[in-house]
Amino acid sequence: MVDLGRVQKELQECNKNMDVSGINVKPKGDSLTHLIGTIPGPMGTPYEGGIFQIDIVLPDGYPFEPPRMQFATKVWHPNISSQSGAICLDILKDQWSPALTLKTALLSVQALLSAPQPDDPQDAVVAQQYLKDYQTYVGTARYWTENFASSRGLEEKVQKLVEMGFPEASVRSTLAAFGGDENLALEKLCCG
Amino acid sequence: MITDSITSAAASISKEFGKKKRTNRTAKLKQCKLDARREQWLSKVKNNGCRGESEGIPESSMHKRNESNESNRSLENLEVRPRGGENDGSVHHDSDSESPANSPTSHISSILGSTDSGTNYHASSSSSSSSGGCCSGSITEEEEEEGNDECLDDWEAVADALAAVDKQKIPVQEGHVEQESHVEQKPVVRSGSPGGISKDTGLGIEIHKPEHVGMVPRAPANGQAWRADDAFRPQSLPNLSKQHSFPMNSDRHYGHGGVPWARSSVAAIPISCPICYEDLDFTDSSFLPCSCGFRLCLFCHKRILEEDGRCPGCRKPYDCDPVEAEAIVNGGSLTFRLGRSYSMIARS
Repeated sequence: MVDLGRVQKELQECNKNMDVSGINVKPKGDSLTHLIGTIPGPMGTPYEGGIFQIDIVLPDGYPFEPPRMQFATKVWHPNISSQSGAICLDILKDQWSPALTLKTALLSVQALLSAPQPDDPQDAVVAQQYLKDYQTYVGTARYWTENFASSRGLEEKVQKLVEMGFPEASVRSTLAAFGGDENLALEKLCCG
Repeated sequence: MITDSITSAAASISKEFGKKKRTNRTAKLKQCKLDARREQWLSKVKNNGCRGESEGIPESSMHKRNESNESNRSLENLEVRPRGGENDGSVHHDSDSESPANSPTSHISSILGSTDSGTNYHASSSSSSSSGGCCSGSITEEEEEEGNDECLDDWEAVADALAAVDKQKIPVQEGHVEQESHVEQKPVVRSGSPGGISKDTGLGIEIHKPEHVGMVPRAPANGQAWRADDAFRPQSLPNLSKQHSFPMNSDRHYGHGGVPWARSSVAAIPISCPICYEDLDFTDSSFLPCSCGFRLCLFCHKRILEEDGRCPGCRKPYDCDPVEAEAIVNGGSLTFRLGRSYSMIARS
């Protein structure tokens, strides 16, 4: 059973100083076990200017077990799966400590964005590019950030898809479901 | 006569009361003290009157038939003691036969009481007053046993003694002044108690001599006020001293024991467990499972031990911690153990 008392206090604590950290956590639905975390892309990195959403599922053993986190926003990063958004971060696995919180975990994820670890990759393609062609990696990462993580990019895509004749609500939900991937969203919308 | 019996009975009773006190000490202690105080205040009003009488003309309207007679004789006794001693003594000795050879004091008191019960008691009370409040306690009990009417005089003495204790012996001096001659008698006889008995039974004149001689020994007698009444006083004294010290000590223990606890717990309560965000109680806050200093509540600690068993603060395994925790529990006080179980109960 999830310690809901702790989760609630965590949410209060985290959202209290959201202006400083930029990190936000809110429940995805009615349940407190499924949350959406939001982190800004770190300054001075290809992820700057992006707002990355992270899907958080709290296991029953939380906080004695780590929260299950994965990027809902598509990210080009050696330690984050470009397909699934899975995060390779030790504190979300064996180095989790009950003393950590959702906020500290999200801060760690944010730090991971600014400090990729290509030697322990989650996405081998990105890691190879990072090691062999760093500039290309930077360009791709920036492109993904602008495309999938920036609110401006999102609004452009929404506007484009709405102009295609799809209702705005379904466009937004479909884009969110595909991490801002315009093509996948269009495919989904077309398939109905 | 009645007062005589009171004194003698009191002497013998005091023994019993010594035992009683031990058993009922805690219960009676405060009661007696309070009663004594109350009686003291009540009798103080009368004391003033009585003092005037005793100091002034022996004719006392307040005293009972006995005492009025005795007070009449007291004048004579002052001059010619033997007569009063013999007359009253003979009568009283019969009544005193209850506790004839119980102790020198009983005899002495009976004789002296025959002459002037009030003064006699004053003597004992004054001597006891130097020793402290313990005497007052025993007297109060005696008084309770015997009945108040007859003990008005006694209460005069008691009041004096108490007042002496309370008001730093200002009243004692009065008491001394009142019955200087009588006061001196008793300690004298006490000091020479073994011989005094024989003399008592025989002639009152004999008593008179030690009385005068007593001026000298009286000081040591007062200084060693307990020796004369060794049979009784030591019992009552330690009792009272214990009683006095007991509640105070206990109060201190509770006070000093409780306050730091309260303080520490108060100081610890605001610190919540970093794992479950629940407030740490005293037991939790005194629980240091890891050398890194990371604190957590016992409940979370137990939970962690059941799983990976690593300290949340430093991620080092709690290997030695179970032992350490047990050592703390075992070596710690009972309260620790209780606190742990309590916390378990409270949260489970």
